[in-house]
Order: sequence, then structure tokens, then C-alpha cells
Amino acid sequence: MRKAIRWALAALIISLILPAATTQALAEDGGAPGVVGRFLLVDMNGRPVTDEDYLGKIRVVVFGYTYCPDICPTTLATLSVALDHLGADKAKIVTLFVSVDPERDSPQHLKDYLAPFPEITGLTGSPAQVAAAARNFNVRYQKQPAENGDPAAYTVDHSGSIFIMDRVGNFLARMPHESKPDRLAERVHGYLYPKKAED
Amino acid sequence: MNRRSLLLGAAALLTSPAQAKPAQGLFIADSPKVLPALDIRDENSRAAGLDTLSGRPVLLNLWASWCGPCVAELPMLDRLKPRLEDKGIALVALSLDRSGKIAVANTFARIGITALGIRTDESRAAAEKLDAAVLPVTLLLDREGREVARYVGAADWGSPPAQALLEALATGRKPTPEMAPPQLRFTSAP
Repeated sequence: MRKAIRWALAALIISLILPAATTQALAEDGGAPGVVGRFLLVDMNGRPVTDEDYLGKIRVVVFGYTYCPDICPTTLATLSVALDHLGADKAKIVTLFVSVDPERDSPQHLKDYLAPFPEITGLTGSPAQVAAAARNFNVRYQKQPAENGDPAAYTVDHSGSIFIMDRVGNFLARMPHESKPDRLAERVHGYLYPKKAED
Repeated sequence: MNRRSLLLGAAALLTSPAQAKPAQGLFIADSPKVLPALDIRDENSRAAGLDTLSGRPVLLNLWASWCGPCVAELPMLDRLKPRLEDKGIALVALSLDRSGKIAVANTFARIGITALGIRTDESRAAAEKLDAAVLPVTLLLDREGREVARYVGAADWGSPPAQALLEALATGRKPTPEMAPPQLRFTSAP
């Protein structure tokens, strides 16, 4: 009986998880996960900026934060290598790093942090602006207190995808955070130069 | 797995807002893993790949100037290098910085690094080839240049477990989980 309950429970759990996995797969193949590329944020010079400021450019968007007390993701390096792969075509896209930690990631701090990645634009804003942008992209984030109790040393768990949006800000694709640079470049290139349907 | 942990696990999968923090610590390879070739250069842009290390075991640290914990770990690696050389182990601190040796020279000057040589990732492919999704990460390579273990995060290389780990590397013994060095903790917030 106990075994039967355990199996039933496992089946229930799998049935709960599978639809989520399928949705993710669809999204990565260009489906519609409810992502809206609208935002009103602040750029690294402290100027207000919206998605309309990037009209005409394909946008590659990641959410994250700069404080990494013990390990740092290599996502920004991955993005910059992908941009190198694109060569001159990188002028046709804009790469945006949106902070989910507006309290610590001031425009000036983002500017300093992103100096080694000159082709990546950092965006931050008020907590409400950041929350609205994250909601539009369907990105969740949550502050986690530091183990040592230091109130300023919190981390921010966040969902980590690389979004590709079209020239007016509509969703094109969501790729995993750990995507290889050549794969990302290939995908962006595909959107820059879509193949015409065969007659 | 009992029912409670199954349920808790399922709840975590369904409601977690976050990508889980990548695991840190010592990861021991089941069997030594052959690595792809890397284009490593020295301060004069000359080839300084792992193949130039004449069959020695290697501690290969990947870092970047924009990675705070990486930079914080460098002084310890700088002090460790001569001690490792006495054991016949080569220490390579490979920078993944886009601007190459300029970023390395600036960082070394800023924090007073003297023993570590400038080593850059010329083709900017090391992170991808070595499957390094986070920094710092330190690979332990045997005499044939194969990965026997890696440490994700900044390690306390002066600790007794680290000594045992490095001794195992020097003598060609397989590392064990007890040899995992503690993490170096950096507590200051910006």
C-alpha cells in the first residue's frame, strides 16, 4: 500500500512538472511564453530609457546583478564572445543587462562593472521599474539574506535566461543561461537574416 | 527518498523563482578527462600552452579581473606558486579577460601579485572549452594534462585538506572527497 501511494505520488509530481518542461521547450523554440519586451528603466548614465529607444535593433536581454561574493557567472563573457562571432552584424543588435538588484546596482556602479564589456549596456532603475520590467519578461527574482547576517551582503536568486527580442521588442526566443556563444550567435544571425520560405 | 522529501523536492521545482545557485566545492572526475587544446599566451603573446609544462601536474586557475572572488583568491595563489613548484606542480592562473594582458597586468599591479605569470586566453574560448559556467574555478590536471578534479569557487589553498589534495596531485594519486578545501569567504558587500 505504501508503495502504491509512493508511485501515485511520483506520477502526480511528474504530471505537474512535465507541462512546465514542455512550455519551456516551446519557448526555446520560439513559442509564446507571455514575454512582453516593454520596459522603462535607467541607463548607465542615469538617463531614463525605454524599449522604444532600441527601435530597429534586435535585442539580446539578460537579467542579473553584479554582486558575486563567492562565484561569478560567465554569462557576460559568453555574450561578448557571441557578439564577436557576429562580427560587423553586432551593430544591428543591442545587448542589455538588466539588474534585478537596483538597491546596489546604481547606474555608476553598473558602468564601472561593465567597463570590461563595452558592447553590453547595463540598465537599472527604481525597484518598481525593475519589478515591472521583470514581470514583463516573466523573470522572477527574490532577495536571499546572507548567511553571515550582513544586511548588505544579500544575494538575489533569479531566473536566468537569455532573451532574444525583435526590432520592435517582441519576443523571439529564450535560450538557457549557459548557452554556448556560437549557438547564441547562430540564433541571432538567423533572426537578422531569416531564410525565405521555399516556393 | 521518503514521501516528505519527495513532496518538498516537487514543491521546490514548481515554485522556485530562481536558477539554483551552481554547486561549489571539489568535484572529482570518475576517470581522468582529456581536455581540448587551449591557446594560452604569455606576457609577450608567445604560446604558453599546457603542452609547454613538460609533463608536470598542473593547477589551472581560471579568473577574470571583473570577478571579485577570483581577484581575492589571487594573492593566495601567488604565495602558493613557489611551494607548488617545489613539489613539481605547475600553477597557471589563466585570465579570461577580453582585454588580455592589459587587464592582467593592471590587476597584478593593483594587488601586488609577483609570482604568478601573465597568462591569457588568446582565442577567448577557454570558458566554453572547459565548461566553466562560473568563476573562479581551478582544475587539477595530471601529468598527461587530463582533468582529475576541479574546485568551483575560491579555495583556502593553505588549509590541511588542500595540502593533502595537492600532495595527491603531486604523487599522481586520485583525490578523495575528504581533500576538499574549505571555501574562502568574502563577506564585504559593496
